[in-house]
Amino acid sequence: MAKGKPNGVRYRYPLPIHPIQLPILVPHNPVSCIYWAYCYVTTINRVTKIHVDITSGKYAHVLVRNAEQMMYLWENGFFGTGQLSRSEPTWIERTVTRINESMGDGSKNLALERITEKRRLQRLEFKRKRVEFEKYILDLRRQGGSIEQETEVLEKQRQALRDFKASQDKDNSEEEIILYNESESLFDDEGGVQPLEALELMPVEAIFLSFALPVLDISIKTLAGRLFDNDTLSYNTLYPLVRQYVAYHHYRSHGWCVRSGIKFGCDYLLYKRGPPFQHAQFCITVLDSEEYHDYTWYSSAARVVGGAKKTLILCYVERMASEERIVELWKNGQFADVFSSFKIGEVIYRRWVPGKNRD
Amino acid sequence: MSKLKTPKNPSEEAEDELVTIKDEEIDEDEESQDWSQAVKLSTKSMISSIPKRGEKDYEPDGTNVQELLLYRARKAMFDTLANSPRGSIVSNQVKAYYDSKLHGAILPHPKGNFLQTMGSVDQEGRCWLDFQEFVYLAERGTVLPFYINEPRDIEIPLSMQDLYSLFRSQAEMDRYFIFAHLKRLGFIITSSYQRRVEKTSFYPPSNPAFGSSIGLRYDSFLSFIDLKGASLMNAFFYTRWNFLLRRYTSTQKIYEGLKNLVPSVRVPKTADELRFERIRCQLNPTAPFSIAFNVWKPQTNFKKKSPGLPDFQVVIHNKNDASQHFPSYSELQEIFHSLDYKFDFLNEIDEEVNWDNDSYTNGVLRSQHISNARSKAASTKPRPVNHLDTKTENKHGMPHVKQFRRLKAGYRSFLLAIMDDGLISFVKISEADFGSENVWYIPSNQGSSTRPKRHGNNGRDQRRSNRRQIKKRTEK
Repeated sequence: MAKGKPNGVRYRYPLPIHPIQLPILVPHNPVSCIYWAYCYVTTINRVTKIHVDITSGKYAHVLVRNAEQMMYLWENGFFGTGQLSRSEPTWIERTVTRINESMGDGSKNLALERITEKRRLQRLEFKRKRVEFEKYILDLRRQGGSIEQETEVLEKQRQALRDFKASQDKDNSEEEIILYNESESLFDDEGGVQPLEALELMPVEAIFLSFALPVLDISIKTLAGRLFDNDTLSYNTLYPLVRQYVAYHHYRSHGWCVRSGIKFGCDYLLYKRGPPFQHAQFCITVLDSEEYHDYTWYSSAARVVGGAKKTLILCYVERMASEERIVELWKNGQFADVFSSFKIGEVIYRRWVPGKNRD
Repeated sequence: MSKLKTPKNPSEEAEDELVTIKDEEIDEDEESQDWSQAVKLSTKSMISSIPKRGEKDYEPDGTNVQELLLYRARKAMFDTLANSPRGSIVSNQVKAYYDSKLHGAILPHPKGNFLQTMGSVDQEGRCWLDFQEFVYLAERGTVLPFYINEPRDIEIPLSMQDLYSLFRSQAEMDRYFIFAHLKRLGFIITSSYQRRVEKTSFYPPSNPAFGSSIGLRYDSFLSFIDLKGASLMNAFFYTRWNFLLRRYTSTQKIYEGLKNLVPSVRVPKTADELRFERIRCQLNPTAPFSIAFNVWKPQTNFKKKSPGLPDFQVVIHNKNDASQHFPSYSELQEIFHSLDYKFDFLNEIDEEVNWDNDSYTNGVLRSQHISNARSKAASTKPRPVNHLDTKTENKHGMPHVKQFRRLKAGYRSFLLAIMDDGLISFVKISEADFGSENVWYIPSNQGSSTRPKRHGNNGRDQRRSNRRQIKKRTEK
């Protein structure tokens, strides 16, 4: 949409490391063979090293600031979240169009974030109106109105609300919503918009992009050193992140596009190809294999997930080596061994309604 | 503003889905009953009409309007109950006598429709009811509960209160409530511990000692090879040199390299794998969670004596009991191992699963067992052999559609019935195996993925232009 490219082309590669293209090999033609061998030796899988900043402080944030690299990570596997956007880092683009719009350069293409914003405002207005009506009814009750009177008023109010909603849907396109004034600091010296947004990677994404696919310009050892203090390292501090990563790697490596599931109260969302292509169908909650909660915990998680028509997967992570061994391996930098000493087991949790399963 | 209505980004829509969780999921048996309708059935006609269900206040508003509405609705319910004709026809009544030794009830003169799915006959030809069946039927008014005072041989009629006091534990009471709930909804239920019913199993009878030794050896051997191979591969893949030395000509190959790192539980997916798994892992008889019920969907040709494999199996969890907890993963696995029902996912793989040919009654193949029984009874009536075929229509589909169905439905599953302060809810818990499915997208060189779309558009455009032409014609 933004680049004017069809999604199929824009998100062609599901991983940030692209496969190499070798020329067609014709076995009985020696020239072809030599050329093929030449290509094989000279081309390597292109690895664009991406620069990351890691903020210090209690919680380390892994940030990518270069605009091109931000886009690269988004377009090749949907990694990271724009800090000022919903997920794709579109803040700068949106800001520029918004400023142009307010200067009278009216282009009708609203950014998705703006549409949501508009819709939320409409909803707010609708609710305000409804509260007004409810107040009126309450007054009527206090003055001793009968129930019949009340239902009559209620009927009228409902119609009014319906009409209001319809009118909202119709004629809102022209309304301009100005939420804030542009501040001076938004612009740089030449009058361009400053790139304020950075792409934030979840710690598990950062591990994946440094350990499994060497895409970031930071090694897994350095990253591990920044995420944990090596001197006070214990299994209990290490385990939560390792558990999350093991699950993340499991789904990523089987081809899923894994994004944070915090919006639906779970750990991960699984997209088959990516957010622009289809809705996520599965919500993953990562648990330890010995862990259990109160039933309410499961049922509330399932309610939220079920309400968005997704399937809840409980992903259990089982430890296969001793705790001491895992800490030792981590300290030695044998990360592959750390991660492969856990095993994944999955269970689908779904509400069952007797009436719908009779035949 | 058409744009507002049709957002292009799915995640956008997903967000709104969350906001507008509608009552779609609520269906009839979950709605509270509207007694104002039932009033019409009662003997005395009600004078006032009761308002239908209306708006509900969430906070007290200082007036008593809500209380009045509630009072009226409640009154309607009580009036209906008080005035409707109730009772049972005397000639249809069946007496049932409680036996405290066997904790069941005996029916000297059994008759009635309920015998199709309930009750069992012992060697002496007496008809017995399970205690929960007994309470259920007494509550419905189908049987009259009695107790015999042996020395004096006096019949003592029992009240409902008496019956409830005969429950031996809270767990038994929970089990009864869930039994009665499913029963009222039309399901056919047997307790898994019930006596006098022919046991049918999916698993063939075998010598456990022999099977397990082979199974274990085979399994450990396999896993040894697996682990060695994988760890060697991993050791290289995750070094710095991997992408410098190796050439990946397709994304698929990169994924192949990635996916060996984290091992995952392999779940039995075929009949053979299921049987092998059963031999390999011995059942733990002291497991905290056991199967409480076998459940069949409502059906008319149910054979009480030899019911075959059930459609569902139910495990009970009482949320309020501090000594119980929601099953952990190892406990879930134990439950999965002990399951023995119509494994519905096998229907997806095989074109046709004939359950009679795939289950064993009393150690004999069920189809044989049935034909034996038939020849004994000398019945010559040809019976419909397989009524499962009706459900097996949409087996064919694109591979990715099938894969999706597999992922969504999972494999072995059971129902967990949760008892929460008397409220019963059900959860279906199934084994999933994302580790054996690959969903990676294989990019094509020409971007052929866009081609079918274009075709679609052409079609639509054509249709549109056709419509336009038709319009023009009609205008003319």
